[in-house]
Amino acid sequence: MKIVSDLLTSIEGIQIFYIIGLLIFVVLFIVITIRTMRMPDKEMENIKNSILADGESEEITTSN
Amino acid sequence: MENQKFYYDNKIVKLFILATLVWGVVGILVGILAAAQLAFPVFNFGLEYTTFGRVRPLHTNAIIFAFVGNAIFAGVYYSMQKLLKTRMFSDTLSKIHFWGWQTIIVLAAVTLLAGITTSKEYAELEWPIDIMITIIWVIFGWNMIGTLIVRRVQHIYAAIWWYLATFLGVAILHVVNSFELPISLFKSYSIYAGAQDAVVQWWYGHNAVAFFLTTPFLGLMYYYLPKAANRPIYSYKLSIIHFWSLIFLYMWAGPHHLLYQALPEWAQALGVTFSIMLIAPSWGGMINGLLTLRGAWDKVRDSAALKFLVVGVTAYGMSTFEGPMMSLKTVNQITHFTDWTIAHVHIAGMGWNGGLVFGMLYWLVPKLFKSKLFSEKLANIHFWMSTLAILLYAIPLYWAAVTQWLMWQEYTPEGFLAYPNFLETLTQIVPMYMVRVVAGLLFLGGFLIMVFNLAKTMKAGSFINNEASEAPALVLAGKRNAVKETFHRWMERRAVRFSIWTFVALSIGGAVEIIPMIFIKSNVPTLESVTPYTPLELEGRDIYVAEGCYVCHSQMVRPFRWETDRYGEYSKIGEFVYDYPFQWGSRRTGPDLARAGVIGGPMYKNAAWHYNHFMDPQKMNEESIMPNYAWLAVKNVDVTMTPKKIRAMQTLGVPYEEGYDQKAVADLMAQAQTISDDLKASGIELAPEKQMIALIAYLHKLGRDIMSENAAVTEEHGETAEQPTHEITLLNTPEDLEAGKKLYQANCVVCHGPEGKGIPPAFPSLVDDEWIKGNKPADVYHSIAEGNVAKGMIPYKNMLSEKQITQLASYVLITLHEQNQEK
Ligand code: HEC
Ligand code: HEC
Repeated sequence: MKIVSDLLTSIEGIQIFYIIGLLIFVVLFIVITIRTMRMPDKEMENIKNSILADGESEEITTSN
Repeated sequence: MENQKFYYDNKIVKLFILATLVWGVVGILVGILAAAQLAFPVFNFGLEYTTFGRVRPLHTNAIIFAFVGNAIFAGVYYSMQKLLKTRMFSDTLSKIHFWGWQTIIVLAAVTLLAGITTSKEYAELEWPIDIMITIIWVIFGWNMIGTLIVRRVQHIYAAIWWYLATFLGVAILHVVNSFELPISLFKSYSIYAGAQDAVVQWWYGHNAVAFFLTTPFLGLMYYYLPKAANRPIYSYKLSIIHFWSLIFLYMWAGPHHLLYQALPEWAQALGVTFSIMLIAPSWGGMINGLLTLRGAWDKVRDSAALKFLVVGVTAYGMSTFEGPMMSLKTVNQITHFTDWTIAHVHIAGMGWNGGLVFGMLYWLVPKLFKSKLFSEKLANIHFWMSTLAILLYAIPLYWAAVTQWLMWQEYTPEGFLAYPNFLETLTQIVPMYMVRVVAGLLFLGGFLIMVFNLAKTMKAGSFINNEASEAPALVLAGKRNAVKETFHRWMERRAVRFSIWTFVALSIGGAVEIIPMIFIKSNVPTLESVTPYTPLELEGRDIYVAEGCYVCHSQMVRPFRWETDRYGEYSKIGEFVYDYPFQWGSRRTGPDLARAGVIGGPMYKNAAWHYNHFMDPQKMNEESIMPNYAWLAVKNVDVTMTPKKIRAMQTLGVPYEEGYDQKAVADLMAQAQTISDDLKASGIELAPEKQMIALIAYLHKLGRDIMSENAAVTEEHGETAEQPTHEITLLNTPEDLEAGKKLYQANCVVCHGPEGKGIPPAFPSLVDDEWIKGNKPADVYHSIAEGNVAKGMIPYKNMLSEKQITQLASYVLITLHEQNQEK
């Protein structure tokens, strides 16, 4: 722990954490959004409907 | 493909539902008791076990972990089995989970009322129970991941990601926040001190809201809302983006609970930014929920279950907009330490959590018992009662918050606080507290109607413990086929890998926030003058913690003029380095105590005052709502633990000299004797070993180390420098006397009584013939203006204008005197 402590103490200006944090988020957000948007719609429909078709629900309204 | 036969475990779901109903009633009842105590202090019953300081943590724990907790488990156990087309992984684990959780709840109730607490909000339970929670939680997670592994469907539906995030999130939070050093079975010290403890605690506190009250409920929403409406969720893509952003962002936002407080700027800024960003994913969830119902609002009209779900999701949207707004520094000024926060959490708790639980139960119970809901009409009555209760709860409290905040910071034209007596700002809002009791009763009434309705439904139906079903076995998915499969789809098929990613997303936020705070020294600048607590003060502090004084009193003066004028110098981060745990508080029901030990400051009260106040706060001031603590004058401090406590403090890094634990008890007794002697001089007999002596010693330590030079008045020479007395002419117009009366009642009755008779000998009568300082107008003016801080008389020249002091002197010498002659 001492090493970690020394290492962190030497960082110039602690604001760096703030910036790193935002950066990580923005990058991940963009990656996830792009990947998600490129998923085929048909597949999404199937998943969405799968929970309703568990042999119990009466009739399903899929008016999407 | 061949179908496999299997049985759903419905019994475990039923058990969790029953527990939800029972603990729900208990939790709400305790909440009503707490509300009643704030409106009418007699409801503290004069018993140590039932004072507000202990009842309030019981209420929060009962609602969050008992009522909401059991409801989550009921919802998760039912939906997981259905979604994954399999029985839960292990019946034994399910059973241990259920009974273990109920045992924890009972132990929590007993220990909290007994005053066994760590004082960290929503994590008050002591270390043995913390360990039990960890074990039971791991069992829950084990059972859940096991079920994922034996599932019969390829795809893991959105609801389950949220359940997994819940499991991981709570596990991380609980473990990190519960690091404590045990002293005995019932007592431990947090290993973090002061500002660090505060950061860890509110990182926990905020994320307990996230991972116990938000993520599991979003999971429930993604299953029960589509099921109840019989329509698929609006957008599955939105649910993916919403999931990852929400779990990533939440972990960073904790410091928004500590704005303007003794915390480095960067940490505050981090908290604010991420809180604002949180609006987006939260609203993503709300929109996805509400749009699921588009074109199906006729169904909502006919179904109480759907109505509750809609109100729940709407309340979620409101709270998650309000929360980020409350993180803006300017708004936070108003909302922090006032009832705003209380209103905010109840919209979320009663609206979002309550609404979702009620909606789920109205749908699930008939389903499980293969019957129809006994009465849709009663369910609708419940719906309207509970919606009305939420409004009746929240609106008065918002009103109370704004009123009190305005009063706290109002100044007279002369530049003095308009309401220097804190109690005046509280008396103003006590009527709102009475309305709150009514709101609580209304909510309870609705809840009981639901219990009746569900009980009838259960009776009419037939319940099958093990419900038969069949589904084809899961074909093991091969290696990722990069062409055909998207990345997320591939990842979520593998439950374990998915969990690891979730864990990583969660950890980054916590780590960035906490690690620098704990390891970087420059974040906690030390103050030379701050010394460790003496053994007596340390014992007093433990009593302060055990009684839950922090529930009503903050110890954090924010850097606003209206706070420093009222309490004294603003709090510095270095003052708290020996505070295990920190005691900053979150709601100021009573005045801030951070400067209670600053002699000559506005908050200082002498030992005799504290004695009288603890014995009966309402005798000192009829309108006070502080509970009495008379048993503190009966119970003794347990000094057998003192050496061990000193050693524990040394382990944590408090610089007591080597071998001090051996001398600690002697020091403790010596210091206690001086306070006991001081009380005796005021005619109060209190043996030095009594708990109240230790508590007084602690209160007198608060803020004393940083007492600024000019305010420093030694106890021996209590009086501030002699001012030449100039002649005073009494003001005898009715207006002046009326103004004098108002000032007297606001500021003086606590010590001198409404008729001026005082509590001799500690607090002199102002209407007899004996005068310490003389009864010429100039003498009385001087007594009021300059005070005698050592004896307990406050110097009012810094709080009141010359005119006001003259009015007071006139009121004392004219009105009070005449009244007394007449009798
Ligand atoms: C129900 C909330 C509540 C609890 C719990 C509570 N107090 Fe108070 N306290 C108040 C209120 C309200 C006042 C202001 C009215 C008064 O002076 O009685 C007050 C006043 C005080 C004051 C006087 C402050 C001043 O200088 O005006 C002290 C000291 C104090 N409390 C200490 C304690 C201690 C120590 C505990 C725990 C043993 C405690 N309080 C528990 C509500 C509470
Ligand atoms: C916290 C308790 C406390 C409060 C509040 C308080 N006093 Fe006093 N007051 C005392 C004590 C104790 C003394 C005795 C001081 C001494 O022995 O010199 C005293 C003394 C006095 C005296 C001198 C009495 C004498 O015999 O010479 C006057 C006059 C007085 N107070 C007026 C007031 C007025 C007016 C207020 C309200 C603005 C007030 N006090 C508020 C505790 C209090």
